[in-house]
Amino acid sequence: MILINCPYCGERDQSEFSNGGEAHVARPENSENLNDKDWGRYVFYRDNPKGIFYERWVHTHGCRKWFNAVRNTSTDEILKIYKLNENPPSKESFTNTLKTPSGEPKVGSGNFTVKK
Amino acid sequence: MSAADNKKSHYINDKEISFKFDGKKYLGYKGDTIASALLRNNVRLVARSFKYHRPRGLYTCGIEEPNGIVQILNEHNEPNTRATVKQIYEGIRVNSQNRWPSLNLDVGSINNLLSPMFSAGFYYKTFMGPKGFWKKVYEPIIRRTAGLGKPPKEFRSKSVHQNHNVDIVIVGGGLSGLIAARKLIDTEYDVLLLEQDSFLGGILKNSNKIKKINNSEVNKWIKETEKLLKASKNIKILKNSLVTSYNFTNHLIALEDKCAGKEIDKEKSELTLHKIRTTQTILANGHIERFISFRNNDLPGVMLASSFEKYIHRFGVVPETNPVIFTNNSTTATLLKSLIELGHKPAAYVDARDKNKIGAKFLNYLKKNDIPFYINSEVEGCDGNKKINTISIRKNKNKIIKVKSSMLCVSGGINPDIHLFTQSKGLVKWDDKLLTFKPDVPFQNTITLGSVSGNYNYEKTIDEIDNKLSFLKAKKIRFNVELNDTNNFNIKELWETKHEKKSNWSKSFIDLHNDVTTKDLKQAVKEGFDRIEHLKRFTTNSMGTDQGKISSINSLGIVSKILKKKISEVGTTTYRPPYAPLSFSAIAGRNTYEFYDPQRKTPIHYWHIDNKAVFEDVGQWKRPWYFKKFEMETMHLAVQRESAQTRKTAGILDGSTLGKIEIKGKDALEFMNLMYTNAFTKMKPMTSRYALMLGEDGMIKDDGIVCKFNDKHFIATTTSGGAPKVLADMEEYLQTEWPHLQVYVNSITEQFSTFNISGPKSREIVSKVFTDVDFSNENFPFMTFKVFDYKETKVRIMRASFTGELGYEIYITPNHALDLWKKIFHYGKAYDLVPYGTETMHLLRAEKGYVVIGQETDGTVTPIDLNFNWMIGKNKKDFIGKRSLTRRDTSREDRKQLVGIVPLDKSEFIEEGQHVVECERLPKPIKTPVEYLGHVSSSYHSPNLNHCIAMAMLKGGNKLMGRKLFVSSTYGNKNIPVEVVSPVFIDPENKRLIS
Ligand SMILES: [Zn+2]
Repeated sequence: MILINCPYCGERDQSEFSNGGEAHVARPENSENLNDKDWGRYVFYRDNPKGIFYERWVHTHGCRKWFNAVRNTSTDEILKIYKLNENPPSKESFTNTLKTPSGEPKVGSGNFTVKK
Repeated sequence: MSAADNKKSHYINDKEISFKFDGKKYLGYKGDTIASALLRNNVRLVARSFKYHRPRGLYTCGIEEPNGIVQILNEHNEPNTRATVKQIYEGIRVNSQNRWPSLNLDVGSINNLLSPMFSAGFYYKTFMGPKGFWKKVYEPIIRRTAGLGKPPKEFRSKSVHQNHNVDIVIVGGGLSGLIAARKLIDTEYDVLLLEQDSFLGGILKNSNKIKKINNSEVNKWIKETEKLLKASKNIKILKNSLVTSYNFTNHLIALEDKCAGKEIDKEKSELTLHKIRTTQTILANGHIERFISFRNNDLPGVMLASSFEKYIHRFGVVPETNPVIFTNNSTTATLLKSLIELGHKPAAYVDARDKNKIGAKFLNYLKKNDIPFYINSEVEGCDGNKKINTISIRKNKNKIIKVKSSMLCVSGGINPDIHLFTQSKGLVKWDDKLLTFKPDVPFQNTITLGSVSGNYNYEKTIDEIDNKLSFLKAKKIRFNVELNDTNNFNIKELWETKHEKKSNWSKSFIDLHNDVTTKDLKQAVKEGFDRIEHLKRFTTNSMGTDQGKISSINSLGIVSKILKKKISEVGTTTYRPPYAPLSFSAIAGRNTYEFYDPQRKTPIHYWHIDNKAVFEDVGQWKRPWYFKKFEMETMHLAVQRESAQTRKTAGILDGSTLGKIEIKGKDALEFMNLMYTNAFTKMKPMTSRYALMLGEDGMIKDDGIVCKFNDKHFIATTTSGGAPKVLADMEEYLQTEWPHLQVYVNSITEQFSTFNISGPKSREIVSKVFTDVDFSNENFPFMTFKVFDYKETKVRIMRASFTGELGYEIYITPNHALDLWKKIFHYGKAYDLVPYGTETMHLLRAEKGYVVIGQETDGTVTPIDLNFNWMIGKNKKDFIGKRSLTRRDTSREDRKQLVGIVPLDKSEFIEEGQHVVECERLPKPIKTPVEYLGHVSSSYHSPNLNHCIAMAMLKGGNKLMGRKLFVSSTYGNKNIPVEVVSPVFIDPENKRLIS
């Protein structure tokens, strides 16, 4: 169980939080102008990379506030936590180690990133 | 040849304890484990093996035990307890497992004769057919004969959970753990020291290896250390606490046995599960000895050498005064010395190493003490009936010599106990000198000290600790360790000895717990399972509850030889938590029964019980399902009675479980317009509206009634199960998408009890209860609400209905709820007011064609599919899911749409969940798929129409009105002919509703 540092309450066990998937997917304004494909992208498509991932969390059993986190999905290490109104840190500020702790081989389905 | 006491051990005391094993009474000492007490009594046969039911004896002296697994009869029949760990107390009753009728005469041992059938992968190969045999024949037999203990007779919560937040955790209170702890005395760190045993000391107590520390006897040094640690304010010691898991972010789980060596106290918890969060973890959890495979290496009497040594020093029992010692490394020297110092003489000493590795000093010692010894030699195998009688030694790789002894002490080398280190995701590497895996790169803040780090030299432990803990700025105390045997560790590679084929009975085991032989490994590789992870699963090697603690590295050694690869190339399998089995009740803690899943009860709950309600679970809520008016009344009769009476005069439902959310704020109107499909702008204050909430995919998520007080204040109801999710969604959108909106949302589900009264006489009843309120149709029309004073509180009444009858929803504070409920019945009596439950609610709404979210809908249904176009605020610029309603897929005309169906023969009944098809009979046999038009979502027998009414979701249903179709049934292959009709069966003109 990982430890998450709620920006409002401090460090708490993961079991107090819920994950909200990929962050920075804005709900389109004027959606009537979008074609089916573009609207479908917003509704159904989310990134799921191995490595650096910007995602949302909510402190469900606590302050119930939403916030953002940068997590390395291959090591589960939380690299940065920031509030919704703060700017996301640049991807370059993190070293993306795709290597998993168990040191699995470079080939294998777990090593393909969805999006470059 | 038998067991003897080690009189020097502090364990020999006058406190004799009597206990029972398989019904027979024995005596032991306080502090004995079941294993040490049995050995004291010369009991060698303690178990039957998993698959072949071979006789088995105690193999080790600790948590790694693969054989001595027993059932504790007087502790809720607790199965699968390790006899080498569990301490005895007066009156404990222990049984062996997996044998029938007795340990000595076990019928299941026929499996050993059938063993060719049980080779590697036998589960996969043998029980393939014929069809149906697995469930009826094979599985029951396998479950009876292959396995462990019997399940406990009763389950009760016996553990509590405790949380810790500390700076440093030290796992293991042996030599390195204690020295590390002493260096941290009175520092600024909060330190937790965890020891699995009931006392500190580890290797110092378990062996003869270390003579003195800082010139004092080891036992004296341990006492002094414990005193110092206890006096230190920053250090807490937990004994009898086994660390079972090492998770991410330095999170450890330890299980403390509160009843070690004591009878369980039924008033107290037996276990404490410690959940520990730390900054730094120090693993000082030592090593585990491994065995060597040879012919019949499972016979009772074979024991690991260091375990034998542990029995002598820790428990003061010499299991056998003249055993044979068989080794390939230097660690057995102290066992030999221990025996000689106690005046016993080993029957033989067999060493696979050559004289250079053994060393002249030790060889001279053997000669001086007149011990028969064989170097460059190995044990070929052993024979005997249910215990060792003779041991065959292959001298100088050639001649076989037979030696008589009842015990054989084996050492195949030692493995750092890397289980926890790898759980923490640390990487391990193979050491060619130690012939084992040892920790390499830690993944977390983990330090390994002592033998777990691969440092087998106890003198050097001091420098290692100084180095590794220097960053903690710990105390600089020097320790001086004096050893009994100064030889450096050395080992010769030996995984399995060459053996003669004697009989079918002769086997060389690699996994004692799961009965896997070295032959199975070879066969599995031959069949292509040459990857270690595949091999493990195919043979079940190291998949027992001991996780192959004494043998998994050996299997890698054997496989690497077959594959002609290095062990480092073969790799190791993953160690998974828990380190050792822990009972489910330990994990459950207090979260059992009503504490695990609390029951939510309405204020009327006990009135319902008094009135013979039968309850239904709706989420955590207890809701009346129906009321049994008399003892013989069936559910069907009750529901028919309740439904008919409600339409005839009046009925009332306790709807307090309905979710309620209050929405307030400057921008409440705009927010509601975005959250729901409905348009709220033109809605007048103090009116209400049936409202729908969609997901962004356009599918219906929840429904409810929204009351508008004014543009800045709304109250919305949700489905009983959907309330938390709806509230969470509202909060999410407010925080993430529309933070500019000034709106506050709050759950008020439990702040208001709700009663739904409906039926033609409901107006007369409420008029008598609330005499000040004008309930006339003109002044209180459908879908309006009023708030007025009632006693010292306020009541909100809404004219709404889920039955299609004239109806009112009454909202009141729970404090007054029961009182008001009774008052309603007081006045309702004259009108035969009937209480009804959820089943009647469902029936009445189905008669009226109202849908239930989660019954008609399943997350793939849009409002258009339900013909709810009138509820969509098309002129609104935006609301959640709006754009999706015009997606090509969502606007298809052949989507499943809501219809009503009735059987053509009015005496027939349609079942919920059945398929709607076009054919009268299913073809036999079915060669091509039968086209499926949809499914029946609700079906009831209507007492008011006196036939079955049903709702269905049919492809292109709107265009099928009046069509004759068929519904499948569970009886035979004849389908029921039905007609597609409007889903509104009663009062389509809404005359009753708005009267
Ligand atoms: Zn918080």
